[in-house]
Amino acid sequence: MNRKTAAIALAAGLSLGGSAAGITGASAEEVTLSYFTFSAAPDHLEDLDAIVAAFEAEHPSVTIEVQTAAYDDYFTSLQTQIAGGAAPDTFELNYESFVTYARSGALLDLTDHVGDLGRYYPLALEGFQDGGVQYGLPATFSDVVLIYNKDLFDAAGLDYPTADWTWEDEQAAAEALTDADAGVYGDFQPVSFFEFYKALAQAGGTFFDDEGNAAFNSPEGVAAAEWLTGKPGTTMPTLAEIGGTPDFDTNLFRSGKLAMWHNGIWQFTGLNEAGVNYDIVVEPGSVTPANAVFMNGAVASAGTDHPSEAAAWIEFLTGSPTTVETRLASSWELPAVDDDAAFASYLEITPPENREAVFEALEHIVLPPVIERQQELQDTVTRALERILIDGVEVQTALDDAVAEVDELR
Amino acid sequence: MLAACALALVGPFVWMVLASLKTDADIRALPPSIIPDPVTGENYRRVVDTFPFWRFARNSVLVAGLSTGLQLFTSATAAYAFARIEFRGRALLFGLYLATMMIPLQVIVVPLFIEMRNLHLVDTFAGLILPTLVSTFGVFLLRQAFSALPRELDEAAFIDGAGHFRVFARVLLPLIGPALATFAVFAFMSTWNSFLWPLVITQPSDRHVTLPVGLARLNGRFSTDWNVVMAGAVMTIVPILAFYLATQRWVIRSVAFAGLKG
Repeated sequence: MNRKTAAIALAAGLSLGGSAAGITGASAEEVTLSYFTFSAAPDHLEDLDAIVAAFEAEHPSVTIEVQTAAYDDYFTSLQTQIAGGAAPDTFELNYESFVTYARSGALLDLTDHVGDLGRYYPLALEGFQDGGVQYGLPATFSDVVLIYNKDLFDAAGLDYPTADWTWEDEQAAAEALTDADAGVYGDFQPVSFFEFYKALAQAGGTFFDDEGNAAFNSPEGVAAAEWLTGKPGTTMPTLAEIGGTPDFDTNLFRSGKLAMWHNGIWQFTGLNEAGVNYDIVVEPGSVTPANAVFMNGAVASAGTDHPSEAAAWIEFLTGSPTTVETRLASSWELPAVDDDAAFASYLEITPPENREAVFEALEHIVLPPVIERQQELQDTVTRALERILIDGVEVQTALDDAVAEVDELR
Repeated sequence: MLAACALALVGPFVWMVLASLKTDADIRALPPSIIPDPVTGENYRRVVDTFPFWRFARNSVLVAGLSTGLQLFTSATAAYAFARIEFRGRALLFGLYLATMMIPLQVIVVPLFIEMRNLHLVDTFAGLILPTLVSTFGVFLLRQAFSALPRELDEAAFIDGAGHFRVFARVLLPLIGPALATFAVFAFMSTWNSFLWPLVITQPSDRHVTLPVGLARLNGRFSTDWNVVMAGAVMTIVPILAFYLATQRWVIRSVAFAGLKG
């Protein structure tokens, strides 16, 4: 028993000392680090390889082993590995799931291992802190904008959307543009948690109140839910029509049968390939503008044998000039660095003409509410919206029920 | 009527093959077209280029082949014991065996992973194959096949001085060929298609990844090129189809036998 305690203390001492001795020790021994990612496959494997090669050239004693999985399967595999005590040394997490992993103690505190963090977007950097501790570094962000089909606006003789638009302007245009007989729809905004928390902020409400209790059954919450659930079946296809069809909205927009589309900047490459005549604008708000952002970060496992090398790798992966260049050159999301000069080349690519809106949207970012049981929270909110639409439950009732459920989850 | 049923069954496969020959623009067209225009082989090239497809294919063949062979061995020997050897608690043991069919893999995946880790078998072929070695379904199926054979066969062999192993290998096993072939098809298909276990056990390197796990990576987070996925799917089912065609003769015979008895 005593011997065991001593061994644990020794191991703890070694891992603490590792940070100071890590780099010097590294030159003597070969280190292999695993990196698990969902965002590289299938389109950006070569880009990731280029980043890995550049890192290995700078750190000859370190080898990075990349393992990829599709987003849908990624967390199944990651959870099994962590639960099984064989977590990858470094891996990728999206902002929404970050808190779950940070609070479960699976992540390495990076504070002692990383240098100057001034090059990251402050907001993105904060996104990967929990309880004031930096557990991860922000790698990429993608925000959501209003994408519109210029040809359909021209044909209807309507003015293009502007940054000053509110929900009323959007709705009026959507109604004018919808032509059910021709299968043309004015608007498309998914009925989901991610749209709801944003619409709630646009209406001036908050998801949790100051005490941390769920508060989205407020009048603002009702307004947001009514805004989202009012679309399907009027200016947007019904949920039944959309069904489980993959990429339903993408196909609709690409085939020129959708006028306005709330979607992310990751769609640009595909739209440019399809040759749609489109442009973008920041999303209309209601009481106030509010924009959504999806962020991914890189983290190291708490149990890694090589904490300083792992930290060096994720620092390189997220913020190095090589990474910034590689990501921008291949439109592999946007690096979360605070560097206007680096983005100059990105802004030159057209369409969309108004690519500047990608950065305008960052001025009014609202981050999704996160709790440890994040997936259940998201499911609860999405289900509440579907109850309103499909079962005809009253908006206030559905939100009251959801608030009670969310308070149970915290 | 028969034609309508055939169409319903074959339709999705035909759709898959046709979709795999479409261009990006063609597959996104609304309303969807059936016949690809123009026909392109580009998607197949992309599947092979994007991933080490041939290594995944080799892994799959190796794992499914080895696993099927070993499952045939363990199932046939266990089935013989349950059908022909009297021992205490046989019925209870067999019942417990069958009960394990009720436990889904999802429930035991983490303990199983920890077990494999303690055996140092994570990310090895052994780790992929070991948990599939014993198939309760196979034991059950083959036990039924052994039970249907007349006892007089083994009694005659025993009188001639044969032991259990000889009776099993020389007398009874050749007579359940069709059942073995049927089970081989099932075993091959289920290991070939299995996803969850290969997904978790093949981390953290690419060395032992099987086709379905590799193929799933063609799905993007926000959008998916379905024509490429379909091309990958076609390439994935070809070996199963080949395996089935090779054993078809036996499978049909076994179904025909079963029909006669009923």
